[in-house]
Amino acid sequence: MKTIEQQVQLMALLWPDFRTTHRGEASVRWCGELAALERIYLISIYYALPVLGVSEAIQFPYVRVLQPRLIPNPKAAEEAPLPHVYFDDDDVTHSILCLFDPAEKEWTHDDFIALTTVKWAADWLACYEGWRATGRWHGGGRHQGQSLQVAG
Amino acid sequence: MTNPNRSMRPYFERVPLAERMLAMIAVKVELPPGQHALAVDRYEAVRKHIERPDSPLHDKVTCFYPQGSMAIRATIRARRREEGYDIDIVAELEVPRGMAPADVLDLLYDAINGPKGSRYHGMVERQTRCVTVYYADGMHLDVTPSVLLDEDDPRRSEIFHAKPEEPSSKHARKEMNSFAFCEAFNDNAPIDTDFAKAYRQLVWDRALLAKADAEVHPVPEHSLEEGGKSAKVVALQLLKRNRNISYQPRRRLRMPPSVMLSCLASELDLEGRSLIDCLDAVSANILAALETAERDNRLIDIRNPECEADCFTDRWPENRQAQQLYISDLREFRKKLARLTSGTLDLEQMKDLLQEMFGEQPAAEAINEYAKELGRTIRDGQRDHERSGRIKPVPAAAAAISSPSIARPHTFYGGRLDVHEDN
Repeated sequence: MKTIEQQVQLMALLWPDFRTTHRGEASVRWCGELAALERIYLISIYYALPVLGVSEAIQFPYVRVLQPRLIPNPKAAEEAPLPHVYFDDDDVTHSILCLFDPAEKEWTHDDFIALTTVKWAADWLACYEGWRATGRWHGGGRHQGQSLQVAG
Repeated sequence: MTNPNRSMRPYFERVPLAERMLAMIAVKVELPPGQHALAVDRYEAVRKHIERPDSPLHDKVTCFYPQGSMAIRATIRARRREEGYDIDIVAELEVPRGMAPADVLDLLYDAINGPKGSRYHGMVERQTRCVTVYYADGMHLDVTPSVLLDEDDPRRSEIFHAKPEEPSSKHARKEMNSFAFCEAFNDNAPIDTDFAKAYRQLVWDRALLAKADAEVHPVPEHSLEEGGKSAKVVALQLLKRNRNISYQPRRRLRMPPSVMLSCLASELDLEGRSLIDCLDAVSANILAALETAERDNRLIDIRNPECEADCFTDRWPENRQAQQLYISDLREFRKKLARLTSGTLDLEQMKDLLQEMFGEQPAAEAINEYAKELGRTIRDGQRDHERSGRIKPVPAAAAAISSPSIARPHTFYGGRLDVHEDN
């Protein structure tokens, strides 16, 4: 398992424009700009070390888009109103991005956020832009309850 | 038919996204390879028909050549319909020098229309300067009769102007040399550039896409055969498309002539420049010429550099209002181009802007294709990320090699979650 310090160090090395906005003993939050295609997005990444007794399914880096706010499209042909997010009922535009399949253990606490999460977030933003422009999600994926074989 | 050099594909990966989108739209509005082959077949068939033994012009056609957009490879969809192409041809005739303009046009009309039951009968219309053959698929061939003026100055010719409803006193002859103009234009539009090769690949991809559709039978030739297309010509296609879109609702107005746009584009040396640069430079040059005329309180006057008497602006602008209208269109176009290439737009904003500039269908198709390809690249993990996060596609072989810089593929997920975060 990577320590918070290891995560912070590699983030500083590979993504120097990301600022650490919270640093605790067992958790950290970064904010920084990411461009998938041309437009720049401000995103936040929150990460906490795993806690025993808490479901593994909710222990992973939480990525949110802060600016510009995500724009839902309830009429989109696919993935309405927002694609591949864990819906935040209070503010859907603040939802956490679903960047990997937990059942497949595509991300574990042995992984560096700088090498996986940030780049996957850029992938998500690119597909999100495509979805906003066409109403279709071309990045593939699955949803809770869908069998593992079903990929979009 | 061999696949054009794939290694040149990265051109569109090292230029702004707008460059690629503009090129994709140009491919969608230009005469595709299959239609080009069809136009060539029809061109040949019309020529043979005019020269058939019982034609009034049997043995009277001394030369038959494409002019205008067809000759400089800048043919795009027609103004009035989305599925049509205008092909311009000159039929150089051996008729008495003193023959009245209306008689020459009528003679060509009779030769093409032919007797009842013949190939083109009923598909033909006599225009003011040409005879048009209409095809059911929207293509039409404008055949302009001409007479050579000087055998020592090949293709310097006279064409004829005769509106059927006007008295013959208003009919006229007009000197022209479209052949020399097109030759000079092509000499000044080199195609041996990275852009040309990358564009050729896009045309190739489109031809393959069309081949999968049983309704069309493309024969990839034209720009494929010739190694691509000059960015200047593609810029010209896009400017013409933008003009067509702007003039679609102005049905009664005559449009700024393509040949004027081509001539002002031809003045510029843009070898090796990107499509965005060419669009910027060509639109600026056209705008500057129009603004200069406007400042001097006159109408723009553009002549064929190969034939001074050949005036490209003899029918447009009819008045200052017409001139001012296109000036305002071009200013708007340049504002939109600057925004499109600012590097700050998301794909949706880019789509909206492209639709305004070049019409809904080609812009939507280009964006859809791009989004699809981007999604596939991400799904398959065939991409790397720049330090800004920007995605750059990598070949499958490179993606297959485990590299710490290339993030492994992942599966987007979704659902509901109860989360807790420390501040």
